[in-house]
Amino acid sequence: MINLIMIAISAIVLALLLLWLLWPEFRVWIEAPKYFMLRQVHRFNHADQRSRPDANPGNPE
Amino acid sequence: MTTFAEHSSSLTARGDERTLGAIPPVEYGLIRAHVFASLVTVVISALFGLLVATKFTLPEFLGGHSWLTWGRLRYNHTQGIFFGWLGNAFLASFYYAVPRLANRPVFSRKIGWFLFVIWNFAVVLPGWVLVLAGFSQPLEWAEFPLVVDAFVVLAFILMVFEFVVPFLKARLSDLYVSAWYLIGGIIFTMLAYPVGNFVPELVPGARGAAFSGLWIHDAVGLFVTPFALSIAYYVIPATTGRPIYSHFLSMVGFWVLFFTYPLNGTHHYVYSAIPMAAQKGAIVASAYLGMDVILVVTNLLLSLRGSSGTASKDVPLRFVWFGVISYLVVSLQGSIQAFMPINRVIHFTDWVIGHSHLAMIGFGSFVALGGIAHMWQHIPGTRYNERMMNWSFWLLATGLTLMITDLTIAGLVEAQVWESSAPWIDSVRAVASYWLVRTFSGLPILAGFLLFWISLVTGPRLSETTTSAASRPTAENNAAYENVPEFSPEVQPSGWLSYAHVVAFGAGVGFFALSFLVLAILPGKELADQIKRVAPAAMLPLTASEQRGRVIYGREGCAYCHTQQIRSLAADVRRFGAPTEAWETKYDYPQLWGTRRIGPDLSREFNLHPRDWQLTHLYNPRFVVRDSVMPPYPWLFSGSANQPTQEALDLLAYLQSLGRARRLSGFDQQTPAMSATTDTSVDMAMAGDPSGRATPPTVPIAMTGGISDSAPVLHPSSNPYDLQEEISHGATVFAANCASCHGTTGRSDGKASASLLPKPANLTAARFSDERLSSVLWNGITGSAMPPWRQLPTEDLRALVAYIQSLYVAGAQPTTQAAANPEVGKALFTAACASCHGGAGAGNGPVAGTLTPAPTNFHLKQPTEERAWEVLENGVPGTAMPPWKSQLGEFERRALVAYVRSLYGTPQEGPKQ
Repeated sequence: MINLIMIAISAIVLALLLLWLLWPEFRVWIEAPKYFMLRQVHRFNHADQRSRPDANPGNPE
Repeated sequence: MTTFAEHSSSLTARGDERTLGAIPPVEYGLIRAHVFASLVTVVISALFGLLVATKFTLPEFLGGHSWLTWGRLRYNHTQGIFFGWLGNAFLASFYYAVPRLANRPVFSRKIGWFLFVIWNFAVVLPGWVLVLAGFSQPLEWAEFPLVVDAFVVLAFILMVFEFVVPFLKARLSDLYVSAWYLIGGIIFTMLAYPVGNFVPELVPGARGAAFSGLWIHDAVGLFVTPFALSIAYYVIPATTGRPIYSHFLSMVGFWVLFFTYPLNGTHHYVYSAIPMAAQKGAIVASAYLGMDVILVVTNLLLSLRGSSGTASKDVPLRFVWFGVISYLVVSLQGSIQAFMPINRVIHFTDWVIGHSHLAMIGFGSFVALGGIAHMWQHIPGTRYNERMMNWSFWLLATGLTLMITDLTIAGLVEAQVWESSAPWIDSVRAVASYWLVRTFSGLPILAGFLLFWISLVTGPRLSETTTSAASRPTAENNAAYENVPEFSPEVQPSGWLSYAHVVAFGAGVGFFALSFLVLAILPGKELADQIKRVAPAAMLPLTASEQRGRVIYGREGCAYCHTQQIRSLAADVRRFGAPTEAWETKYDYPQLWGTRRIGPDLSREFNLHPRDWQLTHLYNPRFVVRDSVMPPYPWLFSGSANQPTQEALDLLAYLQSLGRARRLSGFDQQTPAMSATTDTSVDMAMAGDPSGRATPPTVPIAMTGGISDSAPVLHPSSNPYDLQEEISHGATVFAANCASCHGTTGRSDGKASASLLPKPANLTAARFSDERLSSVLWNGITGSAMPPWRQLPTEDLRALVAYIQSLYVAGAQPTTQAAANPEVGKALFTAACASCHGGAGAGNGPVAGTLTPAPTNFHLKQPTEERAWEVLENGVPGTAMPPWKSQLGEFERRALVAYVRSLYGTPQEGPKQ
């Protein structure tokens, strides 16, 4: 049983590797979030630097 | 990996501020609250840990009160680190990261504050108080009582709303790896926690242990690891201003981690009664996990390439870097530890404690500290004191490195002693100095946490609109940020790719469920079948008193130093007896197998120690074992070891029930085929060891006592010079092992003497033959607290014989000077004493076999006249020897004294005693 699971995991990883190698669109899609994250960090840093502490009180409820 | 050029040619532009919308609000108040709670609790938890460590060196330090006993502090130490420190630190990071990663605010501020209250005032604080008050669960990483566990589950449900729902509202294809770790950690911990905490209360013994093993590993693998990696994957690019090396590799690492981590659990029970297929599966999964961690760490370190300057200057990044390196080391260590040849040596030792500290402090805490410090520099109005933060890092790094090195070596030392035939207490003595170093290594760690806290509250006061130099992005970072395109490069996924995340998440949950099926449910079913097949028909359940004792055993943390699982290893079997089988644990709710040995395994405690020894040992272990580090339990007594409370008697009853079912059932006398552990796959370690046996003894010979004809006779040297050397060495051995009971001068005035019955022998009041002393040292004295000492090296035993013989005070005068008549003495002896002591005084009378301790053999032991007179007058309490003062006159008693003394050294007939 455990052997089957480990083989299944290996197969999934191998499939992902093949996807990455053979399909450029997948490669671009899978890497996209790291740039999005960085933009967000940049946006928030600038917003924080511009803002006063009390000017950003959080989620108004 | 992927370049911007590739993106530019295939992207659908989206995502400048106009597309992404306004910056979502961030709950900075909740971040501050959780950071503050995390630092308060980490200092308290570290103090608990420091006390626990101190008690290894000073076991009676603060030991008089139940609330400050080792076991309860130990529970609170780990639970405080888990829930109080890391839990709060991670929650703070969620409030910081979720709005940034989801581009949405968290679900609700009110729920946030409710969660804060639940986490700290329904989980951490009451958990600590309840544990100290004696309400706990004796399961690793699950020590808080069940009522607290219910609030933990509630908290995780709230976390789903607070932190997962914002991501569901966002487009899933935007999910950065930190978000995946955050979501995965919350969902999978929410699923795993009830299984690890509630199921062992419902599924007994070995079957329950299979579930416990899963949670032990999941606590680290599904809670600490994902949340720490989430922070690491955030802080590194946020500090360097450059994207991580490969998001693809990070996702492969994420999914392989979630697929394989839950499958590791049973590697905590290698060589146990849990079916070997599950054990092997866990070992294979552990190796696989090690490879995955290499992938993850490589990706993280490659993300730092070219940023060595930033890493050395930026303390938060340095914390994270240290954590990532620790993650690599501890994970590879974990994989290697699972391998059977390594596991058989280091399991249960301090090596594993070092491993745990490396995981929880080196990895989890360092990354969490880095995350908090990073956040602090970016929260409006808060900045840390850089100098103190630097000091905090170096104190923590130095203390931790010292602790891990020390505990790792201590583990190897313990393993070496355990593999030998040396007495158990030798392993305690061997690592005593390491425990002292470990205690001192805790001081810089505690100071490091304190300084970290101080650095947060003593940072530069900022005006509302300015930012300190420390927090301002460096020129290098600004340049890096500027390389990020103005738009968010994102692919609009098409076809099945748009569902890929959903499919992946479904697969993750499926694998998670599969881990329980493969490592807990199926092995549990196999164990249930095995129990039905091999368990003796009549297996006594615990009595009400024993049940209460079991609760006390769990409450005081006994299972954290004494295992109740003898592994299928020759070293275990030689020392403790037959390997524990699943059926023996079928009444154990929850299982008390334990994961650590500071004291010996207690699975075969039935009939091993007499009642008075046990009670004295519980009252103050050092009364009977000088160098023991076991805590005293005076609150179970009314002032002395002779006055046990009902709780002490309940605990005693439980201890004396351990292994009873196996002994009374005659299980080991049945055919070897009946034994579940004769399965060659389970017993593979023993099969390769000549000393291994197909049907090992239920109780090891080395610990049972009883008469053995094979006891070697140890003759001290006849050379006066050598004899003096032996006596000198014997004095040292005596002081270490015997003086607690027999007193430092052998006069039966040791600390334990008052509470042992029969009292330990006054070694100055009798002359012992080499044969007698050798036999007692080899076999102990059944029916007394005198244990066998055959584990000691032969030269030590011989030295003890020489030393004890040197204690004999020759020439002690009898209380009467009247002449004795040997013939009268012989006649009286035959009439009054022979039924027990035998006609010739060899201790082999007709009823001798029914008496414990056995009657004295006067051919091998010659009491002084004073001692013989005292015995005839008062008898020997705790033995069958009655006082003869009222039946025999002074003349007759004097004649008896002379007669029994005259027998010493003369030839004897019949079996030796």
